Amino acid sequence: MIRLRGMHKSYRTGKLVTPVLHGVDLDIAQGEMVSIVGPSGSGKSTLLHAIGGLDRDYEGTIEVDGRDLRAMSDVELSEYRNRYVGFVFQTFNLLPHRTCAENVALPALFARGEGTLTPSDALARARDVLGRVDLSDKVDARPTTLSGGQRQRVAIARALFNRPRLMLCDEPTGNLDSVMGRAILDLFVRLGEEDGITVVIVTHDPTIANATQRTVRVQDGRVLEGTEDTPASTSADAESETESEPESEPEADPEPRARAEA
Amino acid sequence: MRSVRLFSLVLGNLRRSRNHFLLASIGIVVGIATFAFFLALGLGVRQVVLGKIFPLDKIEVVPKSLDVNVGPLRLGVGRDALDDAMVERIGALPGVKAVYPKMKLTVGSVAYGGESLFGTDLRSEIVADGVDPDLLTSEINKDGFEFVDYETPERLAAEPPTPCESDEQCGETMYCGPPPGTTTPRPDRSRRNKPRPRTKPPAKPKPQPRPSPKTVDPAVPTRTLPLGAMGPAATQPAAARPTTPQPATTPPAKVCRHFVPVIVSAHVVELYNGTLRRAHGFPQLNPEAVRGFKFDLVIGQSMVAASNKDHVVRDRGMFVGFSDKAIPLGLTLPLGYVQRYNVEFGNEEDAQRYHSVVVEVPTKDDVAQVAKGVADLDLQVKDTGAEEAALLIAVFMMVFGLVSAVIVGIAAVNIMHVFFMLVYERQREIGVMRAVGASQGDIARIILGEAASLGTAAGTVGLVLASVAASIFDHVSASYVPDFPYKPTTYFEFPWWLIVAALAFSISFCVLGAALPARRAARMEPARVLSGN
Repeated sequence: MIRLRGMHKSYRTGKLVTPVLHGVDLDIAQGEMVSIVGPSGSGKSTLLHAIGGLDRDYEGTIEVDGRDLRAMSDVELSEYRNRYVGFVFQTFNLLPHRTCAENVALPALFARGEGTLTPSDALARARDVLGRVDLSDKVDARPTTLSGGQRQRVAIARALFNRPRLMLCDEPTGNLDSVMGRAILDLFVRLGEEDGITVVIVTHDPTIANATQRTVRVQDGRVLEGTEDTPASTSADAESETESEPESEPEADPEPRARAEA
Repeated sequence: MRSVRLFSLVLGNLRRSRNHFLLASIGIVVGIATFAFFLALGLGVRQVVLGKIFPLDKIEVVPKSLDVNVGPLRLGVGRDALDDAMVERIGALPGVKAVYPKMKLTVGSVAYGGESLFGTDLRSEIVADGVDPDLLTSEINKDGFEFVDYETPERLAAEPPTPCESDEQCGETMYCGPPPGTTTPRPDRSRRNKPRPRTKPPAKPKPQPRPSPKTVDPAVPTRTLPLGAMGPAATQPAAARPTTPQPATTPPAKVCRHFVPVIVSAHVVELYNGTLRRAHGFPQLNPEAVRGFKFDLVIGQSMVAASNKDHVVRDRGMFVGFSDKAIPLGLTLPLGYVQRYNVEFGNEEDAQRYHSVVVEVPTKDDVAQVAKGVADLDLQVKDTGAEEAALLIAVFMMVFGLVSAVIVGIAAVNIMHVFFMLVYERQREIGVMRAVGASQGDIARIILGEAASLGTAAGTVGLVLASVAASIFDHVSASYVPDFPYKPTTYFEFPWWLIVAALAFSISFCVLGAALPARRAARMEPARVLSGN
């Protein structure tokens, strides 16, 4: 289903070029639940964003069901994100001025072509999806009135809204306590089993990593699969390795990272 | 992204950031209000100046003459009138829509009456001209009043006047008078011919009552032209006209006749209300109520220079309306009446001695073409100052248009800053939208939609402000500014295209101001915005 080959990624800040990923090769099968672990700045989130079509500024190829993401136009890639992918972020990224149902129905605003829902149908579906994450009673609540676990479940409901085939979760339990994190993990497991959704979770939490079918470790821009010291697959050439490794991945907003690391 | 969804999203965002947008829109509101106010003022003034004072779609063609100063006199060299043939040639010029000949009354005349208005009868020398009634049909013919020639040969033949003995028999719109064309001897003729005493004046005669001009003294012999003799003769080519009046069968002593319809310029009433009434202690007149006012006309009688004929023509006139096409200071009659009067006191050729011709052109753009044709006919267009007035108004409108454009331009820069700030504040929201399927175009459309909505709202408020300011301006003018010639009831004109232009102007500048922020928002990398969260 997902096929990465020779993926390189660097961040540019003015004339400064900071390499992050070095020729990553990775395959993820349909319905598989995979965790990506690794130290901060190793390129886990970068990998996730690239698979999700949020970042096209890389070298190499990422194919999803045989379609090269980089070959897609902006509109096609937007449609891919809308219909095919559901994102779950560490800080939930809910819109505070909208109700839970409106947040969940947000993807309906940008739907194109077949399956486009009317506003009332979209809200009805949003209520259904909120019911699946046990938040039927919070349909009209604002996210600011919810607990962290409830907010993350709203975010998961938003990711599930368009019945995606792929869920990409970036530290989904990073801002939750262990009990709430466990509950969220159980939800992912259930979704994977019930809907056959491919779930890719970036995490620091070994509990979550152990609960997934497969763990991919990213370290220094390379993918190590299975155990920490067993490179599964790299295609970085030797010369590229002479470049200095980044201490950390450049962030637009370093505060959440700091919170996560804390 | 569907328009309905975009609209609801945009409205939500506008509500959410209303304080920012309120501040940002002040400049646009002021700019659009200025733009609409001054453009409407320019159009309103233009309407008055070029529509009434110097009509641009109607030019007046006069004979080309050269004035020569001879001592205290200025003598005109060249012809001073146009005939039927020339009028026809003018009408055949390319670009001419219609021609309306005008003729001045060339015999001294007086008007009597006014007791119902002024409390006493007034007597006034009159200056008059005649215009083709067709020129004023749409303007005057309403509310039961008509500006038409009731005594054309065709009308008189079709509807012969009914004999009568008193006005009551003729109804409100007619009077009982001598048949059309009847003349009476001039009452003051013998007195005027008397030599003035140079030495000791004789004993003062006992004052005699002045013969009333309103009634015809039955003792004075009258001459009645054959019914319609003046009418047909006046409007037919000279060759076709009978050289001598044919005797008629015994005409009735009195018949029901229509009043001679008379129009005056609104300027006359303003002059009266502003100056004349104060000098004589007369009441102020309501122009609307003056319509229907009746008075006597004595053609051929004058204190200044009466005709050489020994008779006068007595008719009765009625004010039927006001028009800016009327002679500025005097009475304007249907052309046929003036033709007949001029023939009666002059000769047959006077029936086609037009002093000018009003030429109607479809649009003002055709004026140049027609003016050239007129010059080729060795005639000239009467300089009314219309072009200078039009230029002045155009400059006025351009200056204030530029001022408002500068205001709106500065406001657009302000809007750009506000949108840059909002895009920065909302970058995470934009990132989430991109993550759930918004394309770069969707994000740009949201930002530009907000700008367009802001422009629509600000433009509407600006237009309302301009309209309110215009109403206040008009109210102040009506209440506190003394009347002056051509004083309009409103100085403003808000045509539909002005409203559309103001809104388009407002929307365009807002969208222009938001274009760069929208581009930046659309190109924002969602991964960078959302990373690390």
